[in-house]
Amino acid sequence: MTTTANNDRKTSTENSPEYAPERSPRLAWAKHAPEVYKAMVRLDAAAREGVDPKVLELVKIRASQINHCALCLDMHTKDALAAGESVERIIQLSAWEESRHFYTEKELAAIELTEAVTVLTDGFVPDEVYEHAARHFDEAELAQLIAAITVINAWNRFGVTCRMAPGHYTPGQYK
Amino acid sequence: MTAAAPRTQLLDRGVEQAMSALSAAAKKGLGDPALAELVMIRASQINHCAFCLDMHLKAARRTGESEDRIQLLGAWEETEDLYTERERAALALTEAVTVLTDGFVPDEVYERAAKHFDEAGLAHLIGLISVINGWNRLMVGRRVPPGGYRPGGHQP
Repeated sequence: MTTTANNDRKTSTENSPEYAPERSPRLAWAKHAPEVYKAMVRLDAAAREGVDPKVLELVKIRASQINHCALCLDMHTKDALAAGESVERIIQLSAWEESRHFYTEKELAAIELTEAVTVLTDGFVPDEVYEHAARHFDEAELAQLIAAITVINAWNRFGVTCRMAPGHYTPGQYK
Repeated sequence: MTAAAPRTQLLDRGVEQAMSALSAAAKKGLGDPALAELVMIRASQINHCAFCLDMHLKAARRTGESEDRIQLLGAWEETEDLYTERERAALALTEAVTVLTDGFVPDEVYERAAKHFDEAGLAHLIGLISVINGWNRLMVGRRVPPGGYRPGGHQP
């Protein structure tokens, strides 16, 4: 696939219903808080260390689905596809409980932990979820996985609150 | 009843340092330490983070925050006189940004905050809300027990 999302949209607009106009972002937060942005980038780099890149993208996509972050979904689905992830596994991710056979037990444990740590407002991280993860990841890996879930949750908050527009990301853009 | 044991106290040194740097940058840019504590307490209430609540309640009391304003924070919408309009706008934004799972940050909440904070203030406030949400996840996820924090000590 060589076309970008933008080109795809343009082509569709020519032959089919008109899409709603793209909304402009609320705030260019990185420009107004450059030190915060730099610290986020450093944090992201520190948290991804030691986490399997494939698991990491699944974690980032799932958290971004739950938090409804369009920009992060645009970015991480494209990065996952570019890294060789299958379209099927990405599509099925929001229904992973019903499509467990698309994922390894280790990936499932990571996805389950992602959901629990992302939806703290419903109350804590259940012991069975934590223990399931602890069977597949050693203590240091688990600490990094929790850090990685924490960081995508933070990016999601910037993305949604500032209403960053999806559709413009090209894989590897920030690497 | 004894407190639940921590699941793990492990936290990568690089992650911890980066989180602390992030907190410091957001707080400094916001430039309102009293408001910062209110925001961090409210987010920690919503995310049920015992460690962060213990820490930020102590920090708020140490900086001279009133007991009324601390105690009634969970019901700030019903307490007309205790918080300024600016603080109320920041608290409304804190709640919306913390509970993303219910869907987005409403325009009226964002615009209310934008009336009280300039763009730089808003960017740092959003940063602070994001970073306390981060600490909440690190502490609840690893079940780090409350009580370890001493005012004036480590300052996430």
